[in-house]
Amino acid sequence: MGILAIIMASAYYFFSRRGITYIWHWERIPEMLFYYGSKSADDPTVRLRMGVLMMGFMLTLKISVFSIFFAIIIGTIVGIARLSQEPVTRGLSLSYVELIRNTPLLVQIYIIYFFVGTLLRLSAFEAGTAALSIFAGAYVAEIVRAGIQSIHKGQMEAARSLGMSYAKAMRHIILPQAFKRIIPPLAGQFISLIKDSSLVSVIALADLTFQGMQAVARTYHTFEIYFTIAFLYLVMTFTLSMATQYIERRLAISD
Amino acid sequence: MIDVRNVCKAFSTPDRKKVKALVNFSTQINKGEVVVIIGPSGSGKSTFLRCLNRLEEIDSGEIIIDGINIYDKEININRIREEIGMVFQLFNLFPHKTVLENVTLAQHVVRNRNKKEAVEISRGLLHKVGILEKENVYPSQLSGGQQQRVAIARALAMHPKIMMFDEATSALDPEMIGEVLDVMKSLAREGMTMVVVTHEMGFAREVSDRVVFMDEGQIVEEGTAEHFFTSPVQERTKLFLSQIL
Repeated sequence: MGILAIIMASAYYFFSRRGITYIWHWERIPEMLFYYGSKSADDPTVRLRMGVLMMGFMLTLKISVFSIFFAIIIGTIVGIARLSQEPVTRGLSLSYVELIRNTPLLVQIYIIYFFVGTLLRLSAFEAGTAALSIFAGAYVAEIVRAGIQSIHKGQMEAARSLGMSYAKAMRHIILPQAFKRIIPPLAGQFISLIKDSSLVSVIALADLTFQGMQAVARTYHTFEIYFTIAFLYLVMTFTLSMATQYIERRLAISD
Repeated sequence: MIDVRNVCKAFSTPDRKKVKALVNFSTQINKGEVVVIIGPSGSGKSTFLRCLNRLEEIDSGEIIIDGINIYDKEININRIREEIGMVFQLFNLFPHKTVLENVTLAQHVVRNRNKKEAVEISRGLLHKVGILEKENVYPSQLSGGQQQRVAIARALAMHPKIMMFDEATSALDPEMIGEVLDVMKSLAREGMTMVVVTHEMGFAREVSDRVVFMDEGQIVEEGTAEHFFTSPVQERTKLFLSQIL
């Protein structure tokens, strides 16, 4: 937070020296977060309401939480499939990972929204969530695979020699240990996902970035709004960082 | 109880050479028998052990345990493995589980025992291997000897008919070997069927019913411990014994 303040202060200093005249209107920002009043004639109740940026923040939060959830599920399944003895399963999972990792997310969002979304009648939110989940899922799959492979093979042998099936050994022995190990790269991946979610604004999904751009177009308070947006993303990613570090410490008890 | 018939097993090395680990290997192990397998490294001892619960696939031959061909595609190998306890050189305790959880886990998820019963059985076994006071500790806080004793308790908790030990004391500090061997000896005296790969000749001499000497994937010589250590016949055996004793 301090660093952000310094950057903003020096930017201000730099611009004023260069003679760019910009009249700051920071006083207009709070009402974009929260305001007290009525919304419209249809909803005249006077109460504390979320402003546009806060509504965007909530949508970004929601789409990120959903996408992280599905990315973990997709990534775990595909990560295990990558290590399958079955060549077809292995080939399919590898194709998925390569296809998704080697094409731009922006293009994937367009394809899923306009093509798949039209076929399956997906809303913008569903299409956006699907695109982000599928995208992050490919990266999570590789992280999960690496995590599983990092567990000593004696663990699997010990579990199997006790009569556990492959699935039970995975569930009780391998995955819990692997997940503990992959928390740091997973956290990095999910931080990226939160930031990448700004791309869903291209399918008119009213996320934080979209709401910000609209507000800029309406008010011309360009700098204040983009700084505020950056700060709000930072709140989400920083919280996630802190949460994962806490989980990591909790899980370190058995080390 | 265990009937091994003409088993062949070869590994491919990274440079695509075939290394024969077992060559037409045949033997029988009877109920209650304690068989010690010795031999130089790379002689196929561990491979043989790992074939007995199908941790390795074999190229040809068959292994019959209690009348069941364990390499039959139709059988459920997990049911077979429940009956065969295995103790590894590197213990392979589950590091994310406490000592007690290590011993109870497979009882829950494989034998479907309820929690109370599993804990009772586990405590009994941990007491038997002399480590009950550490039941709530994680494996990383135990010495090697303690870890190996927990691993033995974990295997015994399944109430196996056969116990296999794959160089169970080779990774231990010398002063901890004794405590693990003591547990193994008491198990042998209780009549457990045991297949033990080891370099501990003292153990072989004291408790084994039969000593099998392997080299290059085959049995070179086998017999009682007395025969084996006092009057070996084969030159290869004599050479091996002269090097280690």
